[in-house]
Amino acid sequence: MNPTSDGLSRRDFVKAAVAIGGSAALSACLDREGGEEALDLPTGDPAAVPDRQHAWNDALATDDHGNDVPPRHHVLGLFAFDGDPDADRGAVADAFRSLERAYAWQPEGLLFTVGYSPAYFQGFDASLPDSIDLPEPRALAPFEDPDPDSAAFAVHLASDYGSVVLGAEEALRGQVEKLNGVSVTGLPDSVERIERRTGFIGEGLPAENQDVAGIPDSEPVDEDAPLYMGFESGFEKSQATEDRVTIEEGPFAGGTTLHASKIRLDLTQWYEQNDDYVREAEMFCPFHAEEDIVEGTGENMGNSNQIEEHGCPAHASEDAESGVVGHAQKAARAREDGRPIILRRDFDSTDGDRATVHFVALQEAIEDFVATRTMMNGTDLAGEGAVRQRSNNGILQYMTVESRGNYLVPPRDHRALPTPRPE
Amino acid sequence: MNRRRFLTATGTAGALSAAGCLGLFETETQSTGRLPPLVEDRPDAVYVPSHVEGMEMAGMGTDGRYKFGLTYSFPHRFWRTTGDRTNKVGVRDADTAHLMVTAWDSDTGTVIPSSSATVTAVKDGDSVFSEKKLWSMLSQNMGVHFGDNVELDGDGTYEVTIDFGPVGTRRAGALAGALGDTASVTVEMDFSQSTLDEVMFEQLDDRKGQRDAVEPMEMEMIPSGQLPTAEDRPGEVLAEGESGDAVILATALDTVPDGVDGDGTYLAVSAQTPHNRYPLPFMSLSATLTRDSETVFDGDLTDTLHPELGYHYGAVIDDVQSGDTLDVAVGAPPQIARHEGYETAFLGMDDVTLSL
Repeated sequence: MNPTSDGLSRRDFVKAAVAIGGSAALSACLDREGGEEALDLPTGDPAAVPDRQHAWNDALATDDHGNDVPPRHHVLGLFAFDGDPDADRGAVADAFRSLERAYAWQPEGLLFTVGYSPAYFQGFDASLPDSIDLPEPRALAPFEDPDPDSAAFAVHLASDYGSVVLGAEEALRGQVEKLNGVSVTGLPDSVERIERRTGFIGEGLPAENQDVAGIPDSEPVDEDAPLYMGFESGFEKSQATEDRVTIEEGPFAGGTTLHASKIRLDLTQWYEQNDDYVREAEMFCPFHAEEDIVEGTGENMGNSNQIEEHGCPAHASEDAESGVVGHAQKAARAREDGRPIILRRDFDSTDGDRATVHFVALQEAIEDFVATRTMMNGTDLAGEGAVRQRSNNGILQYMTVESRGNYLVPPRDHRALPTPRPE
Repeated sequence: MNRRRFLTATGTAGALSAAGCLGLFETETQSTGRLPPLVEDRPDAVYVPSHVEGMEMAGMGTDGRYKFGLTYSFPHRFWRTTGDRTNKVGVRDADTAHLMVTAWDSDTGTVIPSSSATVTAVKDGDSVFSEKKLWSMLSQNMGVHFGDNVELDGDGTYEVTIDFGPVGTRRAGALAGALGDTASVTVEMDFSQSTLDEVMFEQLDDRKGQRDAVEPMEMEMIPSGQLPTAEDRPGEVLAEGESGDAVILATALDTVPDGVDGDGTYLAVSAQTPHNRYPLPFMSLSATLTRDSETVFDGDLTDTLHPELGYHYGAVIDDVQSGDTLDVAVGAPPQIARHEGYETAFLGMDDVTLSL
């Protein structure tokens, strides 16, 4: 990290700019990243963008172990819509298309998805095909009481550059006319942004942004950790493939569904009341703690959290009877043929000056997410006596789900204000 | 870097306020200085701790059948339990108080050891902490409660919201069908360091380390959560045993209580602390009942909350006869956080054989 003249690191500054947003932040952030001209980011060609909006992985770098490296900066914008879809569709399509022209479809440019809520589709006479599983969001554990998202649609913007996600946001809001030297157009007036969720993922960023409520003042987050809880998480084998999460049939074939939850973290207990053994047992599996499988952030585990390899899902019930069960161990019980059925695109956040996770997950059907979350709750295991609803039960003790939203991410052709039965 | 510094740097500071951030870093620390060292050579059993503390009542709240008492004391060390391990949680410099919530059913007075208990504190409109999940804990003088050490923001009035429930433990008898919902109450807590400083704190130099326990605290407003004595239990007490210094008490009821499926005899196994008769929750227990070398029951015992039996582990069996043998297998010792004096007991527990 390169400290700047006023003592703020560039990474810090960029993250903070993304968190705050707006044109002043964009301009400040651009300056920090060297200015638009110095950055010299590649412009894009809409013809080169994949048909699936969620086809990001081919564009991502992979680390030494073959794990996809997610873009470092993220904004999830939530938008209300009060207009005529037929009348506004063209303008919306143009706005998204102009982002594709401004930046190449890659983390050094911009990756984004647009998803529509059940409430949006209820505005039509027709209903979604039966092949689409897009229920209203609801509480997914007996002890949670999340607010349902009220947006018509959500736009997930991701880039390695904070100035790119900020710029894309400003462009969608019609606040800038040129982005990366390319003319752009904004969303129509019938669209209003009602919420923005911001964040980051990747080595160094959580450690540098741990001065928030929910993380103790001892600065416990490791410099190598990609997320606040201190462990690697995007193992290649812990992710569904893009194919697995893709809707196969019907008018939305090539699309996916997106679940977004806002999760507040309180990591004082996690870091200051647990030892390494407990953290490893609760995040992964008691076997991992017992056999000391995890070194540091867990990078030594390569491309897998080693849950499947050690048969952890099969002994979840036995472990619960013995007193503690791991988060990854529980969630892995929802795997099919040894692979997860959801593709995580989550990121950490300082929104509201609180340590937060914006858990964005892609799956073919929302029920895949529900199945995974149900396994993660371990309510079945909490019936065994020793493990409770939250404590000794994975990482539920340390998180509070504040909101949930479900979205249908259409194939790119139907990305702009789709009808429930696009042709 | 904090948000305010960034805002200053970008010249938009007027748009947002940093109110509420400042108090977080002004904390009392002197109260932690009093903690005497741990007793040397602690027995693997319940023992008299180095000291005993009182507590200050902060307020009460009611939501439906749930009743809550909010109390606080000095921050203190406690031990988390995972499996047969404990790990000591020390007092941090920043900790100002040990906050405790006791929850009970207002109709029956049954103290509830198990659920999700979350507290949020606001002072003068500013967040002090949000949605802090308290641990289920066991203390010699406070019994079963939910607690943690917290960082308060100095003297003043705090609005403490307790979000609770639902109770996952099976409810039986007059508790059948109750406590299945969530509850939320907000309690106004007047906190002052001088009041806390006057809370009773006594070193137990003469008794510390002895295999005994500090007496339960007399509290007017909050039930102690002690289990009934053997004589006061409903049904027939079959036998009593011991494991890991816990008292294991088997009781039979002729009728299966409401809230429990099945017909026959209800077998209730209570695991409790010696001396103070507190329930030991969050164990994995299973039982085998043998009659004339034949197994007549073999299965898990389900954690259950019953007004007269208290928290226990139960199963429906056909019947029980004199001369039967009941083997109680311990899959996991009580996974409850322990205050000092309980942290070396109830671990590595052996199975228990009871002759009925």
